[in-house]
Amino acid sequence: MTRETETGHNLWRMLAPLTIWALHFLACYVAAAILCAKYPQITDLAPLRHLIFLVTFLAVAAVAYIGFSTLRIWRHSLDGDLDYDHDTPEERHRFLAHVTLMLCALSVIGILYVAIPAAIIGSCR
Amino acid sequence: MSDIHQGQAHVQDAQTERLREVWKNPVGWRRFSEVNNSVIGHWYTATAFAFLIFAGGLALLMRAQLAVPDNDLVTAQLYNQLFTMHGTAMMFLFAVPVFEGVAILILPAMLGARDLPFPRLSAFGYWSFLIGGVFVCGSIFFNAAPTGGWFMYPPLTTDTRQSGIGADIWLLGLSFIEVSSIAAAVELIVGVLKFRAPGMNINLTPLYAWYVLVVAGMILFAFPPLIVGDYLMELQRAFDWPFFDPKRGGDPLLWQHLFWIFGHPEVYIIFLPSIALLAMIVPTFAQRPIVGYSWIVLSALGTGFLSFGLWVHHMFTTGLPSLSLGFFSAASEAVAIPTGAQIFVFIATLALGKVVSSTPLLFAAGALAIFVFGGLTGVMLALAPFDFQAHDTYFVVAHLHYTLFGGMIFPLLAGVYYYYPFATGQKLSDHAGRVAFWLMFVGFNATFLPMHFTGLRGMPRRVFTYPADVGWDWFNFISSIGAFVFAVGFSVVLIDVLRPKKQRPDADGNPWNAGTLEWLAQRDESFGMRTIPIIRHRYPIWYQKNFVQDVREGRFYLPDAEDGRRESLVTSVLDAEPEQCARIPGPTFLTLFAAIFLGATFIFATYHWWISTLASAFLTLATVLSWLWTGTGEIPEKQFRDIGLQRRVPLYRSGPASTGWWAMFITMTGDLTAFLSLMFCYFFYWTIHTDFPPGADGRNGTYWLAGSACLVILAWASTLLARRLNTAGYPAGVRSALYAGVALGILGVLAMLAGPWFSKMDPTANVYPATVWAIVIWVAVHTSVGVIMQAYCIARAYAGRLTARYDMEIWNVTLYWHFACFSAVVALATLVAFPNLT
Ligand code: HEM
Ligand SMILES: [Cu+2]
Repeated sequence: MTRETETGHNLWRMLAPLTIWALHFLACYVAAAILCAKYPQITDLAPLRHLIFLVTFLAVAAVAYIGFSTLRIWRHSLDGDLDYDHDTPEERHRFLAHVTLMLCALSVIGILYVAIPAAIIGSCR
Repeated sequence: MSDIHQGQAHVQDAQTERLREVWKNPVGWRRFSEVNNSVIGHWYTATAFAFLIFAGGLALLMRAQLAVPDNDLVTAQLYNQLFTMHGTAMMFLFAVPVFEGVAILILPAMLGARDLPFPRLSAFGYWSFLIGGVFVCGSIFFNAAPTGGWFMYPPLTTDTRQSGIGADIWLLGLSFIEVSSIAAAVELIVGVLKFRAPGMNINLTPLYAWYVLVVAGMILFAFPPLIVGDYLMELQRAFDWPFFDPKRGGDPLLWQHLFWIFGHPEVYIIFLPSIALLAMIVPTFAQRPIVGYSWIVLSALGTGFLSFGLWVHHMFTTGLPSLSLGFFSAASEAVAIPTGAQIFVFIATLALGKVVSSTPLLFAAGALAIFVFGGLTGVMLALAPFDFQAHDTYFVVAHLHYTLFGGMIFPLLAGVYYYYPFATGQKLSDHAGRVAFWLMFVGFNATFLPMHFTGLRGMPRRVFTYPADVGWDWFNFISSIGAFVFAVGFSVVLIDVLRPKKQRPDADGNPWNAGTLEWLAQRDESFGMRTIPIIRHRYPIWYQKNFVQDVREGRFYLPDAEDGRRESLVTSVLDAEPEQCARIPGPTFLTLFAAIFLGATFIFATYHWWISTLASAFLTLATVLSWLWTGTGEIPEKQFRDIGLQRRVPLYRSGPASTGWWAMFITMTGDLTAFLSLMFCYFFYWTIHTDFPPGADGRNGTYWLAGSACLVILAWASTLLARRLNTAGYPAGVRSALYAGVALGILGVLAMLAGPWFSKMDPTANVYPATVWAIVIWVAVHTSVGVIMQAYCIARAYAGRLTARYDMEIWNVTLYWHFACFSAVVALATLVAFPNLT
């Protein structure tokens, strides 16, 4: 099996999970900042919290989707090693898939971390 | 590769001779027209180190002042200048430029290229850096240096009586340097993506290049918010527009946001390139490939992104909602994961290899130890409650220097020892290196370890003296002694670097027996690579048979310069297939002039000499245009170039296949970030005010602005049409469409200025009109630049240099217009629609 040059996994797909992390982070931050600045009298953060949980769920789902579709590429690695040091488009394709997969894991951790404060902090103060 | 005919001895000599002729460095006073990466890289690095020495000298003065209580060596006023200039020069004039300098110096060789894609851009960046740096640093000799700390918080720095000219020097001088950093970032990104040797798939790319890619990308997203901050603050200082003045609706916190959205990633922009040097050094001295190449790529990318989610941890004590603090605290802890991963990879590589002990490795080990310690105190500070205690004390000073020395100074010195033979063909003394290391290591810890304790005992930072007997005396005294010990150690390195040395240590120029490509470049030849090799491995010198010999004998691509031109290969992004032979421009004075005029523009603006400012801005524009006209978009004398090994590639490409298009795209990404930061300010004011936009005031000028948006869209459409017509081959239609574009663009600019003008918005009255004006001016300038570009295309078309076949100008200009039109529409739509929504 030989792969055409420049086909398969590319740099944009590699950056997708981290981009989702960034968007999720921004969404949480902006939502909280607007709510707390515009409506300081609000004491019950439950709606905000639910919003954040929803966004978190969506973000994790999106990353998981990328992760699982990438896992399929990466699983049947030709020579079974993790070095990816061959000079072929196929090996490059798998390398990028592997990095993407790890970035998915990192992004999920990052996303969940950011959701923790929403779960435990009950007020804007 | 040995079945190739290229490379009988006499043929080789003739080829080498031609290459030499083409890549010859200019001599005498013409040296200043130099653009070649190896020369510019040297200058860049040396200049950055000169600023390090300058800023270090200021630090020694501070430590001398703080050595004993109630000291009066320097005045409070001078002390303020000292710490501000120390921090500013270290961060902006040393740490970032040294990354750019080193990258410009070693990257081409590492990628197997003869130069970077836009050598003139590097030269321009260098001159800008030099002029701006000298201007900013020089101010301290006239007692005019900034005094507001390196992060320049308003209201102190917007108060023109308290801060004087120093703050303007900071703002304009550094904006100028930020421009040069962005120029370098564009250059480096395109270099890594498009100038790799054939066969160097993205998974074989040296780790250093990966880091360069990540860091340059970070510069593109981190610097623009600061540029916007500078823009707003200078508007306030020069014209009294109240962006940061709470009395008129402004907010000093906005500056803190803009500064730290830049400032925290900045820390990683400084740290990652030095870690990148370790990623090259460690495998060499372990004499084995790096363990976990993908892990390093993962951690570089991960840190690059996550580091943007941390900025508020510098604002924990500003009274932001605790929920927001929680988000940033969480992200600050998360970034430790990828940062830690790369440290483990280095340790694993060393553990599995046969370690050769050496001076660079000693520095690397010292760096890791210091960095881990600094990282631990960083994790402590990322916990908001701890930070409430330690904020603005010497604990923070200690933490930041531990990370900076461990993450930057020591790895960089490891890099100096490692790459010195590459850069000069000679080796530094191992013995002196060890002595220097221990002096610096001990001196460093003696300086900064005690600061943790003075900090915990409550000593605030940025105080010029302190009373005796509050428990700070001894710690401070030790700190000061330590600083001088460190300085002695550093002088040892400096003397070793500068002293005259005997000729090269070994003939093949690879004294460490390294495996990566850059060690093959020929030091004494300004063309660098004798031929552009085919890469099959991450460590070609170790694993490719006869590699060194084949390269030296010119058995790969482009072994000759028979057309008398500087050339290098452009390859595809993922798999590095040859796509084009790039003609690389040679020496010119235009870049130097452009930098001088641009520098003059900023410097005159500092003193509010507006006429001279305008005149120099005009000269800058004229110089840049003649640079573009004479130096870019050249029509080659033939379609294809034979690059050897029976391969022919085109000489001209345009649109997304060309490097120029990518440069434009990347620049515009940075520009768009700046624009979005500006819009962020608008919405920031909206969140903090109940009446933003204030009532009816907001609805003024609606028709002008809406009309302007339509005109700009039409101008964009004309440009796009011109490009289509050009491809279809209707030269007359192209010119008409462009003329229409120019007219529509000019009308659009006038209409958008008319909006706030005719509704008599007074930008000094309140922050709302000020914001509207700031946005409108921003967009107007961008649209005007688009108009100039259209006019440029018209001129090119008349000159017969923009044709259906040779069309890169129109592609790049259309790309610019995509971005310009997008920002104009977003800005104008917001200004029109938002007041009616709220
Ligand atoms: C021998 C070397 C150095 C010494 C003795 C030193 C000393 C100091 C001292 C005493 C301060 C605190 C001033 C105060 O708060 O009153 C300071 C601040 C600072 N230093 Fe250094 N430093 C050294 C090297 C560096 C390096 C290499 C960097 C960065 C690459 C750096 C970046 C900074 C910054 C950003 C500040 C904060 C400035 C401010 O408060 O605005 N320093 N340094
Ligand atoms: Cu930070």
